[in-house]
Amino acid sequence: MPQRAESFEAVVLPHMRAGYNLARWLLRNDQDAEDVTQEAVVRAFRFFDGFAGQNPRAWLLTVVRNTAYTFLQQNRARELGTEFDEVAHSEPAANGRASESPEVLVLRSAQQRLVNEAVEALPVEFREVFVLREMEGLSYKEIADVARIPMGTVMSRLSRARQQLQAAVARRERAGSAS
Amino acid sequence: MTCIETRRLLGAYVDNELDLRGAVEIEEHVGRCPGCGSEERQLRELQASVRTNLIRHEPAPAFEARLRDALRVEGLQTLAEATPPAPTPRRRRALRWTALAPLSAAAAVLMVVALPRLWPRPSDASVADAVIAAHVRSMLANHLTDVASSDQHTVKPWFQGKLDYSVSVSDWAAEGFPLVGGRLDYVEDTPAAALVYRRAQHVVNLFVWPSKRASVDPLQHLARRGYSAYWWTKDGMHYWAVSDLNEPELQKFVELVRRRE
Repeated sequence: MPQRAESFEAVVLPHMRAGYNLARWLLRNDQDAEDVTQEAVVRAFRFFDGFAGQNPRAWLLTVVRNTAYTFLQQNRARELGTEFDEVAHSEPAANGRASESPEVLVLRSAQQRLVNEAVEALPVEFREVFVLREMEGLSYKEIADVARIPMGTVMSRLSRARQQLQAAVARRERAGSAS
Repeated sequence: MTCIETRRLLGAYVDNELDLRGAVEIEEHVGRCPGCGSEERQLRELQASVRTNLIRHEPAPAFEARLRDALRVEGLQTLAEATPPAPTPRRRRALRWTALAPLSAAAAVLMVVALPRLWPRPSDASVADAVIAAHVRSMLANHLTDVASSDQHTVKPWFQGKLDYSVSVSDWAAEGFPLVGGRLDYVEDTPAAALVYRRAQHVVNLFVWPSKRASVDPLQHLARRGYSAYWWTKDGMHYWAVSDLNEPELQKFVELVRRRE
């Protein structure tokens, strides 16, 4: 293999799983997440000459994020640009695919299920910031770069995502104790 | 610090994103304010719950093999494109294509390894790579402008709120370089203003971003892969003008920019 491919393999490919996880959270569907991850990694390989030694994980996540957004624009545009809507986002992903995936089947507890469904129900712009922060541990600055938004927007989206999650958890707990 | 101010910064505090002074102020406030203290506890509980409960999704076992196949194909195509097409009939070329791959791979390695040697300084070289890549991407990805306008009074305010520095924007239509618009770009992890100009069929990207060092760099030039770039640092800002224009034409543009500064 040529040297360029070797260094891509050493520098970028180790973060492929983080890329898949982000794509899966943005798209909420295994198949779409695999397609988008594959396309993103191929694009990253094409643009690898433009990679200037910054954080490779954040760099790959940026490509995955952009590819996922392009996919959503072309296939599920109504999921983009949605503001918080208590009715629309208080229920888990309406396509129901989430419950088919093997990971979800082995959910150990009701609490775990509740948290995952509540995050899945966030609008994608908020889910993205939240996952980058809580799962990938990116700094506000890195999130701003990946999502191409100012740091102030990172802060306000995170804050609203958390409020929404707290409300969802409280709502489910009340519903649980009532039934 | 007021409760309103504290609530606004509490998330950043929990995420360790505040500077020391801000963190101390919040810490003091939540220590003596039961309402904000309870808010902080809830945030930390949520964070702990999310971090233990969120599923880290894994691709199916067969996915990685499929991905590597796709990359292999991509690698071969890239290398094949990098070599001039062999003057063989179509049918034979199809047969010979795989046989040629090692040769073209060697050629591509040579190109990749040899080109960086021509660069002036390592730091400039990596910036140059990033800037030229950003220029190429702006044209490939059909994403030349975020704000398309020939009016400097539209483009300049658009950057405000997206960048924490101000960029002066001029239109040089009269001089043959009409302003097309602006775009938010990234160079080496830093948000950069990209001002887009046209000269006939050619695009000029003028990247502007704040310098981390307090130096003045003289005007420098380099050419690579059919792209020409001029760069300089002045008043704490980096300027990079990149285009596929020929050198004298781009120089004319650069003089316009530098005369204004």
